[in-house]
Amino acid sequence: MKVVLQDLVKQYPSSSSVAVNHVNLTIDNGELAVFLGPSGCGKTTTMRIIAGLETPDSGHVFIGERDVTDLASKDRRVAMVFQNFSMYPSMTVYENIAFPLQVLKLSKDEIDRQVKEAAGLVGVGHLLQRSSRQVSGGEAQRVALARSMVRRPEVFLMDEPLSSLDAKLRIQLRMEIKRLHQETGTTVIFVTHDQEEAMSLGDKIVVMDHGNVQQVGTPQEVFFNPRNVFVANFVGTPTMNMFDGTIKPNGGGLCVDLAGIELKLPDRFPGAGPGMPVTWGVRPESVKIADEGQPGDVPGTIELIEALGSRQQVFVRAGDKLFSAMIDALHPVRVGERVHLRFDHRGTHLFNAQTGLSLAEQH
Amino acid sequence: MTISLRQRLSAYVILGILALLIVIPLIAGALTAFKPQIIWVSSPPIWIFQPTLENFEFVFIQRQNLLHLRNSLIIATGSVTIALILGVPAAYALARFRFRGSKGLLQWLISLRMIPPIVVALPFYVLFQTFDLRGTHFGLILAYLTFLIPLVIWMMRGYFVEIPSAMEESAMVEGYSRLQALRKVVLPVVTPGIIATALLNFIFAWNEYFLALILGGRDTSTLPVAAATYVGRARVEWGNLFAVNLIIMLPVIILTIILRRQLVKGLALGLVE
Amino acid sequence: MTASTEVKPVATGAGAFRRWLYRMSQKYVHWFFIAPALIAVLVVAIYPIVYSTGLSFFRVTFDSRERPFVLFENFAWVLSDPDYRVVFGNTLLYVFVTVSGAFVLGFGAALLLRRITAGRNWLRLILLLPLTIAPIVVGLTWNWMLDPLFGLINWILTGLGLPPQTWLASTSTARIAVMLVDIWQWYPLIFLIMDAGLSGLPRAPYESARLEGASEWTIFRRITLPLLRPVILVALLLRTVDAFRTFDLVRVMTDGGPAYTTETLSLYLYRTAFNFNKLSRAGAGSMIMLLVIGIISALMFRYLYRDVERR
Repeated sequence: MKVVLQDLVKQYPSSSSVAVNHVNLTIDNGELAVFLGPSGCGKTTTMRIIAGLETPDSGHVFIGERDVTDLASKDRRVAMVFQNFSMYPSMTVYENIAFPLQVLKLSKDEIDRQVKEAAGLVGVGHLLQRSSRQVSGGEAQRVALARSMVRRPEVFLMDEPLSSLDAKLRIQLRMEIKRLHQETGTTVIFVTHDQEEAMSLGDKIVVMDHGNVQQVGTPQEVFFNPRNVFVANFVGTPTMNMFDGTIKPNGGGLCVDLAGIELKLPDRFPGAGPGMPVTWGVRPESVKIADEGQPGDVPGTIELIEALGSRQQVFVRAGDKLFSAMIDALHPVRVGERVHLRFDHRGTHLFNAQTGLSLAEQH
Repeated sequence: MTISLRQRLSAYVILGILALLIVIPLIAGALTAFKPQIIWVSSPPIWIFQPTLENFEFVFIQRQNLLHLRNSLIIATGSVTIALILGVPAAYALARFRFRGSKGLLQWLISLRMIPPIVVALPFYVLFQTFDLRGTHFGLILAYLTFLIPLVIWMMRGYFVEIPSAMEESAMVEGYSRLQALRKVVLPVVTPGIIATALLNFIFAWNEYFLALILGGRDTSTLPVAAATYVGRARVEWGNLFAVNLIIMLPVIILTIILRRQLVKGLALGLVE
Repeated sequence: MTASTEVKPVATGAGAFRRWLYRMSQKYVHWFFIAPALIAVLVVAIYPIVYSTGLSFFRVTFDSRERPFVLFENFAWVLSDPDYRVVFGNTLLYVFVTVSGAFVLGFGAALLLRRITAGRNWLRLILLLPLTIAPIVVGLTWNWMLDPLFGLINWILTGLGLPPQTWLASTSTARIAVMLVDIWQWYPLIFLIMDAGLSGLPRAPYESARLEGASEWTIFRRITLPLLRPVILVALLLRTVDAFRTFDLVRVMTDGGPAYTTETLSLYLYRTAFNFNKLSRAGAGSMIMLLVIGIISALMFRYLYRDVERR
């Protein structure tokens, strides 16, 4: 089902800041949307409002055609998987998966059939008689997935379901959630603070901070066309190189003066004008290291090298600025070497320093 | 830390003495309950004798202590049951919901523990005359709620805090109302905590003397009140007294052994840990 | 799918009422759970206290029909009663001696327990017993232990070649005997609290201090004590408040005697009300007692919270 959030506002009485600040959002039927943001950004609160576990101060939640804002959780036909809770400890795996069905007054055989089907789908069919103490963390979270599926909800809500698992298991379960989503075609909303998880899972990513939606877009859009400084900074590891500067006229075009370094601007930034204070950024992946300089290159000295398997992150000092570059591990570099930094113009970004908004063409 | 043999040995000796100082009076007293009248008092003390139950028979039949036992049971069970019914939901809410004044309310409830019983006993006495509650079981049950409800709330809050709220929220998303979720999902998990709380509160109500002395009538005297009357007599019937003592002590000792872990928490008002 | 979402839903009739009901139930759900207990507490604790406060401004006896308003007469009477001053002094002494005695013994035992391994749980269990046994039973048992003719204590004393004592009947020993029994019953509480506190201490500061060669005494003073401060305060607070209102033990052991040497505040107020039929005077006295306890615990609480917040 389609989920629409209309001007949602929520403030907790104990807090001075707004948890959810006028959030408007549409998640299309069958989409897997990821709410991404640092802790305290309002992503979990927004999800809890959709689930009916919190009541918004104002605004509306629609699931499909229904306004569910003032409907109890139990009547919303959603399912939720939680971060710090997976199995009811007083029940076996079987009883856990059957639990949401019991309230529906189905026949015993029907419940049995559906429990086994759901358990099979997430691969816990062989654990049905185990108690909650006899399953591992990963298995318990699979049980939670099965339990969320049996009621055939219209929307799946997943609140950081993988963050308490170890890295390997996390990736494995992440793939399975993606597969289940593709098989069932049900709308999924997934909350995480892990951007790698967000990128690999989401059809649509909703980046949030301080209760506000910062950007909505595909993983590619939020990575390649961040709408503001926050998104540019938050998305992508290692983080983008960012420096403050001013726009200056340069020949026929414009350049950005980063206090000591002057860089020509490509004409992708129609919002930029001379004299404007800006934040200029480039992703480490778009920084190349050359031994021989060309016009437009920035000379510098290698200060630190971090090996990261197939890639290496090289920190280069240029004046008072430290640039990081992600380059191939086989590229020979050493600390203290004089090099030239060359920026791939497709990977550079420019933001208005006052508003934080991107000056690039918006699609 | 390396502990020398001497340090360890001295620790064992001192702690051993402390343990004996606690155990010996209790055992010596308990033994007296089984002594025939002629050796109730003796110097030097007699440790080996033919045990008899005649003291128990005497206190139950002649001294009507069976009635007091019944009173104690009714009042302790009744007050603990009511305190749980009222206190457990409040403890749940104080563990789960943050609302304006929730912290202050909790602190205020705990501070009720500090009220000396004499402060409530006097007005209760006057009020009970007005409402005809003096010398009734219900009156004492009511009075005991003064200290039992705060204790139940404080202990149970600790147990609820340990349960992730996602547990009942999960059930609520899965088609259950909050009350159904509490009953089906939270209650089974918190039952051991409720039992521990009930038993500790039972001990407190069972041992209570002051309020029972002032607010109880002749027909509602509890065992501690009855026990205390034995020393008022010209000649103390030590064997009978210790029979009553043992009846008061025994259930408590059994509960103590069962509850030893949770007890520390309850006794220290949960302020530790 | 039509764009129903652009239309602000207009609440009407039954729907509006249901919405309102849901909102209210979500907003005030906690009161649904708290209200019963809160009302009960107001009835069984707050109402009596308020009533008692009122009572202490009138002259009330058990058989009095009229209850004239006398303002502070009762308070003045209590405060000017020489017995009251003696009893207040007794109680302060009692609190001071039993709390500090229990603290030293309890903390000491908890520290000693760190040195041993076998039998720890047995000792913890044994030390729980005095706490859960009724003070009445404890008092009666010790009456028998301290009996001048056949008591176990005097039997041991004479065995050691010491003169037997009339513990509870003599003005010189009654006070000390009752206080010792009080310590016997309550030092285990301090022990258990400190034991729990000691078990919860982090290991890292100790390991680094030892690596730096600090002495055990320095470690105790500089690491253990500061870390345990909140726990110590809680233990002292609980014990002080309880010692202040001691009744049961004294009532069965000496009943305040001999010559008022063991009379405590609770016992005095009990007697004023029920033996001397001065109900409102006892009420005034109990209000003063509540005030004193309130001040003591407020001070300790404040100290405690300041401590916790500083962390």
